[in-house]
Amino acid sequence: MASQRQYAATPAMASGNAEDVAASISAFLASKHVPPTQAWMNGFMSTIRLNTPIVALQKTALFRLLATDITTSITKSPASCFAANITDPQVKEKHVRGPITVQVLDIEDIGRSRWSQVEAIEAQERGETTKGREVIRVVPDENSSDAATQTESKSSGPHKLLLQDAYGMHVYAMELTPINGVGVQMAIGAKLVLKDFIVARGVLLLEPRNVEMLGGKADTWDKKWREDRKKVLKEKAA
Amino acid sequence: MPPRRQQTKVLCVAEKPSIAKAVASHLGGGQVNTHNTGNRYVKNYVFQYNFPAWGECEVTMTSVLGHLVSRDFESRYNNWRACDPSALFEAPIQTYIQDDLKPIAENIKSQARFAKYLYIWTDCDREGENIGDEIRQEALKGNASLSQPNRIFRARFSNIERAHIINAACNPVTLDDAQANAVYSRIELDLRIGACFTRNLTLSVQPLFHQHFGNREQGLISYGSCQFPTLGFVVERYLRVRNFVPETFWTIKVMHEKEDIKVNFRWARNHLFDRMPAVILFERCLAARIARVTKVQTKPTSKWKPLPLTTVELQKCGSRFLYMDSSRVMTVAESLYTKGWISYPRTETDQFDGGMDLRALVQKQTQGGPWAGLAQALMNGGFSAPRNGRNNDKAHPPIHPVNFVEPTQLDAQERSVYEFVVRRFLACCSEDARGSKTDISILYGTETFNASGLVVLARNYLDVYKYDRWTSSQVLPDFQEGEVFEPTEARIQDGKTSPPGYLTEPELIALMDANGIGTDATMAEHILKIKERNYAWVQPRGRRPQGNDGDDEAESGGEAPPAANATRGRRGRGGARGRGGRGGGVEGPGRGATTGVQEFIPTTLGVALVEGYENMGFEISLTKPFLRKEMELKMKAICDGQRTKAEVVHETIEQYRDVYVRTQQRLNVLRDAVRKYCLGPIEAHNG
Repeated sequence: MASQRQYAATPAMASGNAEDVAASISAFLASKHVPPTQAWMNGFMSTIRLNTPIVALQKTALFRLLATDITTSITKSPASCFAANITDPQVKEKHVRGPITVQVLDIEDIGRSRWSQVEAIEAQERGETTKGREVIRVVPDENSSDAATQTESKSSGPHKLLLQDAYGMHVYAMELTPINGVGVQMAIGAKLVLKDFIVARGVLLLEPRNVEMLGGKADTWDKKWREDRKKVLKEKAA
Repeated sequence: MPPRRQQTKVLCVAEKPSIAKAVASHLGGGQVNTHNTGNRYVKNYVFQYNFPAWGECEVTMTSVLGHLVSRDFESRYNNWRACDPSALFEAPIQTYIQDDLKPIAENIKSQARFAKYLYIWTDCDREGENIGDEIRQEALKGNASLSQPNRIFRARFSNIERAHIINAACNPVTLDDAQANAVYSRIELDLRIGACFTRNLTLSVQPLFHQHFGNREQGLISYGSCQFPTLGFVVERYLRVRNFVPETFWTIKVMHEKEDIKVNFRWARNHLFDRMPAVILFERCLAARIARVTKVQTKPTSKWKPLPLTTVELQKCGSRFLYMDSSRVMTVAESLYTKGWISYPRTETDQFDGGMDLRALVQKQTQGGPWAGLAQALMNGGFSAPRNGRNNDKAHPPIHPVNFVEPTQLDAQERSVYEFVVRRFLACCSEDARGSKTDISILYGTETFNASGLVVLARNYLDVYKYDRWTSSQVLPDFQEGEVFEPTEARIQDGKTSPPGYLTEPELIALMDANGIGTDATMAEHILKIKERNYAWVQPRGRRPQGNDGDDEAESGGEAPPAANATRGRRGRGGARGRGGRGGGVEGPGRGATTGVQEFIPTTLGVALVEGYENMGFEISLTKPFLRKEMELKMKAICDGQRTKAEVVHETIEQYRDVYVRTQQRLNVLRDAVRKYCLGPIEAHNG
């Protein structure tokens, strides 16, 4: 029947046919660089009502998929993942086209000392950043020409990220210039799509034009990351 | 002219004998008769004066010695164990006059008997208004008719210079009850809160010392709502320094030699704390080989002359440049004010009123001193209007020299402070220093590097204000935008972060100011208090404690000074303090002559108290500034007429009662901290 193939330009209401709906959602997710596995789609389809508007279903699917671990939820192919030797430090420079979908496992501000970041967390824990109860600890000395130590604690970035592709491969990346959405407040488990980037000595060098921020989060990882952060920073400092 | 006996009599009362004497001599001309009173410091000066409003009068000018009245709880509350400390929140407070001040009160009462007018000449700040009210009440006891309207007045003056005093004498105003009330509320709050928490703290913690050391050397452990946050700053910085972990960082340095000049370029990223990215970026710079100039900008720049001088600034600069701690600087400044050389040194105002004749003041400084020539240059056309700061307390102008005095007539410390005030004032009236700054940016690989050069073209104010520095850097060679070159040298370098220093006094004052605790008048006192109570001491910078044991040796067990009866809460200008210069603070371990920068180190007791209260939870926050800051804001609201004394006292007591209840529940936390820091194994205690 002709109508069964017309999933691209669908009317607002789904046709009610599970196959068509699933195909439409899969295609949508693939266009966002997160093509789902069959297993994931099956799981998703079992939770929905087929007569919901298709656009809403697509959005919901994307939202849920972005909250998963991509090593199990999206399909893998060599084209959409890192090459095996990408982390080889012997290779001075390599250009990668992509697009490659990754999730963020860890992020670090390498422009500030870890100890100053620990101090900032402790100040927050002591309630010194609560509105109305702020405690000013550093007063700018107008005669001081050495701005380095004063501004150090305020700087943000550049950031170093630990990324993982759908195969589970770990790779380090660094912001060459500030990328919107990248920072220590970003969610762990957030998904990014990387295109047209340089890899230098096994480290990805990223600029805004290389990165499409899909968003998303992995709740348990993010929570654990935040809880452990102070401890991890202290260990790294020592 | 009516015979003397029927002349109108005016009773003038100043805050200190020295002021009384100075005013009397200005108003009385050469014809002043001096009489003794029951107190050997206070004299009655009698002379004639023609007031515009009252005609020819017989004037008696006398003084008090700061606060006349003392406040304390009724004697049944004196026994600490007889009542719960929190009872002091409501306990009745009685006022009385101490024995040694009774003759002074008597003098006022008896002199008031014959006076038609009472004219108050206390210093023009909040404490002064409050002392003025005490004087008024005493005078009314001697002469009830003074309570009629238009009988009691107040002089408004900012310095002791003759013309200024005469002008003040002819333009009386009335006492500001709002300010007096703000001080009454502060006195009451300090008394209630200070006493309650001191008792609570001492009763909870003192037994630990007595038990552990087997003696009763540990005196009372006092609490003050401003001293604790001040101590909090000292301890926090101390712990920061002690806990600091140095970290290695990496930076890329580029140097290029052009026209025989070596230009150092600084990395725009400053430094990175991770070696791998730094090395990778460095390699890419080298691979790029050629650097391109992306920006060359030369523009005029200036170093601004300083703002007019406030008390806080004077204290900071006193510490940094004159090697005097804040209490000493204020004592010396007060003395210069009393002698008529500088204006009232307690002010928050950092803008000069448009009507002031600043040139006349500059003119006076051409008479001598090492700055005479510079002052003359200002008169000859170099004069420039001072910058305006953002503060105006509407009571006093910024601190400035009122008269010229030959520096040799002053003692060493007075000379140093006077010179500072003069140079600062002349600097305010000079031009900003001008220069030319060149900024160059280059792109090397993906990385940006910057270099800058400064040429100082006109020193201007810097010639008179020797406390600031601004020097030309090396001259930069010419660069053009778009120019490319291969840098002479590029290298990657590592370094280590180092801990901040312990708090110096100027830093502490700046922190108190930024966090809204202490007013210009009280900051120095609070700093002195934490030293007196052995919660912290000062040492010259550069001497670091040796390892973890250094502290235990240095601290003296946190003994309180013998004079302490902390329930009194006597204010700074009460009694003996008001009489003359205080010494330069308490002698603590390691404190010799004040040369070089001094830094604050808490004693183990100081650390224990701060950590103990912090561990109780942040909503308690007795060592954080915000409770005190709120109190200060409420004081201000009383002065501005927006709130009443009763409201503010009630509200603040409830706030602290809440805190009290919470601390009661967590006293073991405090005791744990004391055990941890103060009660080491008995062998380590030096007795």
